Amino acid sequence: MQAIQDDNYTTEDYDVFQIAGRTCIEDGESAQVLSIVVDEENKNIVRCMGWNLLGPLVQILLKKEEKNLPHCLAILTHLLEVCSPKELLVGLLEQVEEAHPDSIAETVILLLQPLQKVLLRLGGRKASSVGMALSTLLGQVARLPVPQTKEQEEDDVFSLCRCCSALLVFVRPFVEEAKQSGTPTPKEDELRTELLKFCMKSLCEPLLEVQLKDPETLAESPLRNFATEILGILSDIGESLPELLCHGLLRRREVPGFLEEEVCYPKESLASLAYLLFVQHIAMDTFPTVFSSVFVLQCNMEYINLFLSRTEESRLQKGLDLYEKSLVRLEDNSLPVQLMELKSFFSVPQNLVKVMTLCPIQHLRTKALKVLQLSINKFDTEAKYKFFQCMLKTSHHAGVEGYIIKNIKNQIDFALKPEKGNEWFMGVHLLPLLRQVLCLPQGPETDLLQNLDRVMESLNLLRYLLIRDKEWKNQTGIWTELYKIEERFMKPLRMGLNMSKAHYEAELQNTKDNSKKTNAKESQTQESVCSLTVGNEKMPNMTPEMQLQVLHSALHTFDMIESVLARIEEIIEVKEKP
Amino acid sequence: MAAELTREWSDEQLKSDDLPKKDIIKFIQDNSAHSFLAEHKLMGNIKNVAKTAKKEQLIIAYNDLFESKRFLGSEPIEDVTEHVKNVKIDDKPKEVVEVVDEGPPKFFKSVLKKGDKTNFPKKGDNVSCWYTGSLEDGTVFDTNIPATARKKKQSKPLSFKVGLGRVIRGWDEGILTMSKGETAKLEIEPEWAYGKKGLPDSKIPPNAKLIFEVELVAVD
Repeated sequence: MQAIQDDNYTTEDYDVFQIAGRTCIEDGESAQVLSIVVDEENKNIVRCMGWNLLGPLVQILLKKEEKNLPHCLAILTHLLEVCSPKELLVGLLEQVEEAHPDSIAETVILLLQPLQKVLLRLGGRKASSVGMALSTLLGQVARLPVPQTKEQEEDDVFSLCRCCSALLVFVRPFVEEAKQSGTPTPKEDELRTELLKFCMKSLCEPLLEVQLKDPETLAESPLRNFATEILGILSDIGESLPELLCHGLLRRREVPGFLEEEVCYPKESLASLAYLLFVQHIAMDTFPTVFSSVFVLQCNMEYINLFLSRTEESRLQKGLDLYEKSLVRLEDNSLPVQLMELKSFFSVPQNLVKVMTLCPIQHLRTKALKVLQLSINKFDTEAKYKFFQCMLKTSHHAGVEGYIIKNIKNQIDFALKPEKGNEWFMGVHLLPLLRQVLCLPQGPETDLLQNLDRVMESLNLLRYLLIRDKEWKNQTGIWTELYKIEERFMKPLRMGLNMSKAHYEAELQNTKDNSKKTNAKESQTQESVCSLTVGNEKMPNMTPEMQLQVLHSALHTFDMIESVLARIEEIIEVKEKP
Repeated sequence: MAAELTREWSDEQLKSDDLPKKDIIKFIQDNSAHSFLAEHKLMGNIKNVAKTAKKEQLIIAYNDLFESKRFLGSEPIEDVTEHVKNVKIDDKPKEVVEVVDEGPPKFFKSVLKKGDKTNFPKKGDNVSCWYTGSLEDGTVFDTNIPATARKKKQSKPLSFKVGLGRVIRGWDEGILTMSKGETAKLEIEPEWAYGKKGLPDSKIPPNAKLIFEVELVAVD
């Protein structure tokens, strides 16, 4: 290639330079390219066009072949110094964006330092470029598989940990710049905004996917380090952790417009932050130890709700953990009823119920129930009352209703203890709640099997009240209410039981007769498939043996219900005898 | 000097159930010297005293009063309160003790540096504070004051809305009594701090009394 002296380059000149340069590099003639590139005579063309060589250079460098490395690195270094930073930036980011899926990590790690150099050359205008670079880099790093176990994090096969650590090194000088104390200049402010966006994005990807290991499990954890540093950067750029957490509750005055708000403070990122702080204790030593635990719970409810509205196991687990950790800070009976009026205090239990009843993962269902009970324990008496009312109205699930009714029984039991009385689970207020509990939702037609949990707990409660509350004391009001309960609950239940038993006994007889007939036929080719209708629903095809089991089980259940009902009738009869 | 008092009740009447404890206590409180009351543990709210003192005790005290003649005004003026004793006229005011009384006091404030005594925060105002928090044994568990020894890390005073239950009650109540520029020491009982639970997994153990040195830098 000849040295060109003119400043007026034509398109052909560019093409020649580019093609020639690329070919030489690819052919391994990097030494030659280097000598041309550093030649003073070619200063101008290199300055204008040098960035085009980035592509082939990067490809060669990624191959890591010993013989080419020193020259290619030297070319790269030179270009980084002389070419236009803006063009270099475009070229480098292009390389990052177009990285082959298998070499994302290598490309990122290779180009971080060059990118940093270029960005630092931009001086006061660097903010938006820094933002763009960070966004592109994170976007690629987010595609790397996230280690889940301690061993995976140690092995770091896909290099996510290496990339995260390298990113921290990359971003450090910009953080230092943004950190200058006192009131930030507009330029510093811009840079802080870009860094804020970077932190927020990192909090989602990869940090939301990560299961951080505590120091006992894994002493050196690059991911835990990454999380800690990200939170550190937030503090460095002037974002106070408490203000971030309460962001949903408080309005930040400075941020203009709704869209800007969402970009700078996305809820999912803040939820991730809350989780890291309160469950994993990352940077917890920088969180002021003055906030009340009730306030912390209030702030976290939004994030808990966000997590629990999802279906992925990792999100649900995080929501349950965050809720649990926020609740254990509180003393029992300390949450006032006014909190019930907040939207999140309604949505979260609804979501918990969904997890308890619909989530296919056993340990999550169990945990959800545990956390629900924990939350109930923290409400004060009036709040418990309102909560039970609400759950009975809205859960539409017999198992949940049964669980709530059991809680009601416990509260009444507690209220009846000496000097523990309260106005909610005794006397005037108790009766409306009891009316909600001691009824059959569909009268005698109520499906007793489907509603078993609810019906049994209601009967248990009634039996308990009649034994525990002496009729001459009548602290719960049950005795004056009894005739209504007999009308609305016990009579329909008795009727429903009789109907159900009759129906099932008839089905039982049918099945037995059918199977006798089938046996008599002695047909081998014919499958013993019988159809069975229970409660207007056709049961799936079963063998006669299975059907008999189902029917016997149902009848047994009715017997169980009946025995409690009978016992209650007995108690009433005895008490009402003169 | 108080005139000699006459006995209103005989022993019979004292022992009788018709004479309520409260009446005896009131009589003794109204008519005995400060130190007499203190010795017999009959100081304070009559209802409370009635709860703790037995009838026999009161009868003994009543009789004792007439025997010792330690009526009100019979003793030298030793009823000077601690408060008055400690007031010093200095340029550098040191420990001016203010006991904040709200039923049983749950926090205790000492002013270390006076504020402007004009700008007191109201509920809902935004306040900014520098603070250091320590446990009773002196362990510092939190501070936002930039360390002077090390490289200065950027830090801001803690900002929040006071009086709304966002911070522990000891802070909410304490800061409302401070004026701009004031530095105070707040000693907060666990009930108005983090109570029985403390902060699990953290530096605050259960039932911990917390001591904060707070400088109220700005109000709204």
